[in-house]
Amino acid sequence: MLKKGSFYYIKDGDTDFILEDKTKRGLTVKDTSIDEKLNVSADKGMIHDMDGIGHWVPIRWYFSKDLFDLKKISEYAESMEKKYTALREITCPDDSD
Amino acid sequence: MNYAYPEVLVDTDWVSKNHPNENRKLVEVDYDPVNGYQKGHIKGASLIWWKRDINDPITRDIINKKQFEALMSKNGICDDTEVILYGDFNNWFAAFVFWVFKYYGHENLKIMNGGRKKWELENKEYTTEEPLLALTTYKAQPPDEGLRAYLYDVSRALGREDTVMVDVRSPKEFSGEITAPPEYPMEHAQRGGHIPKANNIPWATAVNDVDGTFKSVEDLKQNYESKGVTPDKDVICYCRIGERSSHSWFVLKYLLGYSKVRNYDGSWTEWGNMIGNPVEK
Repeated sequence: MLKKGSFYYIKDGDTDFILEDKTKRGLTVKDTSIDEKLNVSADKGMIHDMDGIGHWVPIRWYFSKDLFDLKKISEYAESMEKKYTALREITCPDDSD
Repeated sequence: MNYAYPEVLVDTDWVSKNHPNENRKLVEVDYDPVNGYQKGHIKGASLIWWKRDINDPITRDIINKKQFEALMSKNGICDDTEVILYGDFNNWFAAFVFWVFKYYGHENLKIMNGGRKKWELENKEYTTEEPLLALTTYKAQPPDEGLRAYLYDVSRALGREDTVMVDVRSPKEFSGEITAPPEYPMEHAQRGGHIPKANNIPWATAVNDVDGTFKSVEDLKQNYESKGVTPDKDVICYCRIGERSSHSWFVLKYLLGYSKVRNYDGSWTEWGNMIGNPVEK
């Protein structure tokens, strides 16, 4: 484990840095293909919404060590952290402070 | 040994040779039509989308008699039309619709054994062309409440020796380790576990893993009778939202011929959310 946040892990692979979305833990990997947003290979699963419609979601991304450094991946991870923190604030605000 | 009502099943070869016509309609029932019917379906099949077409849009309930009649009309179905159902997710939702059709008294009804899974394994043809169906006038029967268990039926049945509860969910759902798999974040309940004294007989134990077709009568009998689910009992099937339990309801009622089988469509998302309901882990 190289780094972790409330909503992500960054793990050290042989040839890749692996960024994992913790909110997708337990989801079955049904496909591994390029994630168009980050343009790297990603394991993907499917989440069904209120209407039953399935949506492909990335579970973990594989960043080649030849092309990416940890700083860049941390930026992606922190962006994800910020998105989920904001979402949690909307749906389940912490009123303790 | 044959199924108790073999006429309720057709196989994929039969469907590929017997096309829909004025008296025979083919209906795909999907939980996820975007990744199912809309990508491709059997030629001539219309779509029933479980969420949109079978459920009331406001209240959590199946459609009422009037809504059912409108649905049948839209799908070109008359009172005596032969209807063949098939669908995604191992025919779970096709079985749910079979149950709703029977609830409103449609007689001539069949399921394509194996559903989309088997059709695709056999590399049979799909189309994206949707059939043009003329509206019909359909007169449904009053609901057959003998097919449906409500919350109060289940509560009353607790502790009764003549009634047996069949929980068809996965062992992890039954034990309370999870309330729903991560793929279905909208289907959780406040409590995990099962209805006291329920038997865990997962839906999948009734089908052949390789192609999703139903197991033989001998295998099905062994599957249920060995756990005390016998034809002399009142049987109530449940799962999380009532679709997998419809599948097991279909097996018990039509393939094994049990006379007293009900589907509890409220299932765990009702039982596990109600304050004060007893839960066993």
